[in-house]
Amino acid sequence: METLALIETLDREGQPRQILRVSQWPVRIGRAIDSDVVIDDPHVAAHHATLEWHADGVRIVPAATINGVRLGRATIAPGSSPPLPASGLMTLGATTLRVRLASEVLAPEQRLVDLHLLQRRHATTLFVLIAVAAVWKGFDLWLSTVPGVQGSTLVWNYLSAPAALITWCVLWAIGSMIFQRRFAFWAHLRVALTWLLVAVLTQAVAGQLAFALSLPAIEKLGRLVFVGAIVTMLWRHLALLLPSRRRALAIAIGGAVAVGSGLLLIDRSVQQQPLVGDLYLGTISLPGLRVVKPVSADAFVKSAAPLEKTLSHWARPGDDDDDEESGGDDDE
Amino acid sequence: MLPISLPSNRVARLLALLLAVALGPCAQAKQQSAQLPAAPPSPLAKQSAAASAAEADSDSEDHDNLSASARRIYDIGRPRLLQVRTLLRDQDSQASVGSGSLVGADGLILTNYHVVSQVALEPQRYRLNFQTVDGVSGALQLIAFDVVHDLALVRMAKPPADIAKRGLFEFRPASTTLAQGERIFSLGNPLDVGFVVVEGTYNGMVERSFLPQILFSGALNPGMSGGPVLDDKGHIVGVNVATRRDGQQISFLVPAEFAQALIARGAQARPITGNVEAEMARQLLVHQQQLTTRFIALPWRETKHAHYSVPVPQEDFMRCWGSSNSSDSKGLLFERSDCQMDTAIFINESLRTGDLAVRHEVYDGSKLGALRFAQEAGQSFRNEGMGRRTHDLTAPKCEEDFVENAGLPMRTVMCLRAYRHLPGLYDVAVLSQSVDAKTEGVQGRFDARGVSFANAMLLASHYLQGFAWKRSP
Repeated sequence: METLALIETLDREGQPRQILRVSQWPVRIGRAIDSDVVIDDPHVAAHHATLEWHADGVRIVPAATINGVRLGRATIAPGSSPPLPASGLMTLGATTLRVRLASEVLAPEQRLVDLHLLQRRHATTLFVLIAVAAVWKGFDLWLSTVPGVQGSTLVWNYLSAPAALITWCVLWAIGSMIFQRRFAFWAHLRVALTWLLVAVLTQAVAGQLAFALSLPAIEKLGRLVFVGAIVTMLWRHLALLLPSRRRALAIAIGGAVAVGSGLLLIDRSVQQQPLVGDLYLGTISLPGLRVVKPVSADAFVKSAAPLEKTLSHWARPGDDDDDEESGGDDDE
Repeated sequence: MLPISLPSNRVARLLALLLAVALGPCAQAKQQSAQLPAAPPSPLAKQSAAASAAEADSDSEDHDNLSASARRIYDIGRPRLLQVRTLLRDQDSQASVGSGSLVGADGLILTNYHVVSQVALEPQRYRLNFQTVDGVSGALQLIAFDVVHDLALVRMAKPPADIAKRGLFEFRPASTTLAQGERIFSLGNPLDVGFVVVEGTYNGMVERSFLPQILFSGALNPGMSGGPVLDDKGHIVGVNVATRRDGQQISFLVPAEFAQALIARGAQARPITGNVEAEMARQLLVHQQQLTTRFIALPWRETKHAHYSVPVPQEDFMRCWGSSNSSDSKGLLFERSDCQMDTAIFINESLRTGDLAVRHEVYDGSKLGALRFAQEAGQSFRNEGMGRRTHDLTAPKCEEDFVENAGLPMRTVMCLRAYRHLPGLYDVAVLSQSVDAKTEGVQGRFDARGVSFANAMLLASHYLQGFAWKRSP
């Protein structure tokens, strides 16, 4: 007999769980065992819907049920019998079915991704990332350690960073295990390393550039990039857990960051602090890095003249009312 | 290391306890150093000099001239001596206590500004009261103050009937100077435990103090602030104001001339009812002008460093302390100089102002190499505090750039804060780090508190021009 269509019952991951070949129309769908497609779903009626062949194609005729038949998010109105949607997907109760018609035009064959090659490329990237991170951590440690520190102290200091990173990635991998059924340690390690390096290196470079050009704004920009990279890292970790929810996660995290930084900005502005970063640029670098010419003492002092206006504005009575009694020592 | 002002306040109870402990050895030390003979070296010695000097001299046949003068002085002072109490507006609880002396027939009383500062600044929360030795009390009104020298005049709202009989304190004539070592007597009510007379020694003026103060070798305690210090004729030579807690019996008096000047201009004034901040700011602006003018007139001192000239102030009215780390350190080597003024002007419990400080650190990073030296220098540059958040001042606002003076390029930051309640006054801090050499450098910091904006700029410029690069000889 000629196969007119396939009706696939899909599981939660979207994979077919049960496939029925259709050789004649109509097809009755329901929980009752005399149905052509039997669905063991308590939210499905004994007879739930019928697929009928009409001159213009297959139509869905829902029976009188509580939960009805949904196409996407819309429930089919009682009494109407719409044609089968292009995707072939419909939901009965809590069960999703896909109908594939013999008359469908098939999409062309896709080339298989060479998984081995892909993995090798990933492994190379990961190796490069680990190497860069290891070198950076070593340099950073060397930079901030005065000579004469005990070797074992240095080793402890050096190893604390990878230990923390591994713990972090293991926890995320456990998350992946829960949501994706795979322990995606390397994927999480790659996300963490990439964005941590972006954050740390940008900040370091921004500090040096700000010193070279005497532009504290660059350092502040570096701090914003730092925060941005850390937020992106969190988003990427979450996206590995819930790939189908990437957009929603991006919106949620973006929203949270927007609200948080908005509150922070208001707070800092009320406290008359700089909105981003420190009171002044704290980077001192190699003398040779300085690009801009210094000014004379008098010119420097003259350039501070506008401070008078700002400060007398800040000192206006009433400006301190809102932070009475909240004065803290946290600024130091 | 700053002198501590002496209002006895809410923690008086605790302080009294601590001080009683501290005072045991103190009182004995005093007897030794002043070579007071023959007070029995008993555990009771701590009572001998102070509280019971007037009445407890039964053993004084041999030394009656000394102890008798203390008794005579106290007898002179007794009717004119008062305790000045700051009370809460609506209760009789005292917020702080000090002392005062009757100097005008209409009930005019001389005391310290810091004794009445709460009433001056927050009249809606506090009021003033007095209590004489014989227990007469009544309300006081603030008449005038000299915040720079920490003096104030208050007047009895309703002088007691016997006011005329009490007599007035007189001042020692300016023409007759005291000699170092002369015995003088401080009167007051320490820690609210009772009126006392304290014998001590006049030791001339405090050295290197911008605001003239008498160095009094005698034990002053909180609560005696504002009390008179008398010569052996019972004439006022000064007013109790402060003591050093890191020393013993290092106490400070406001010279009588400033009190006389305040009385001359303020005795007839009407009680102050409004806001005192404008007048306070005016006095502080006069002070900062004198300070700035004198400071800028002084040349910077020579520094011995091979490559750097660093602005180090003369020690006319500042005091410098030096320190350095051990030369066998394997890291950054530094030498530090820290210069500051001894006198800061009391405004309120949380605010002192009207002083300058200059410090620098010279670094030798040859053991570190260029990169690590830059890192260390940056660390030290970054962690400079520009002032805690307070109600009295705005947050700091900074200007920064590379500045070059006399061949020395520096990374320089200047931060200012404005006084919220004292219009026209600012704190300024200038922080400067040399950026000429790979493994050596100098970091300097200048601070001025309570100066006008124009003077802040003047001082900053003066300071930065004290840096120079020296060609090695």
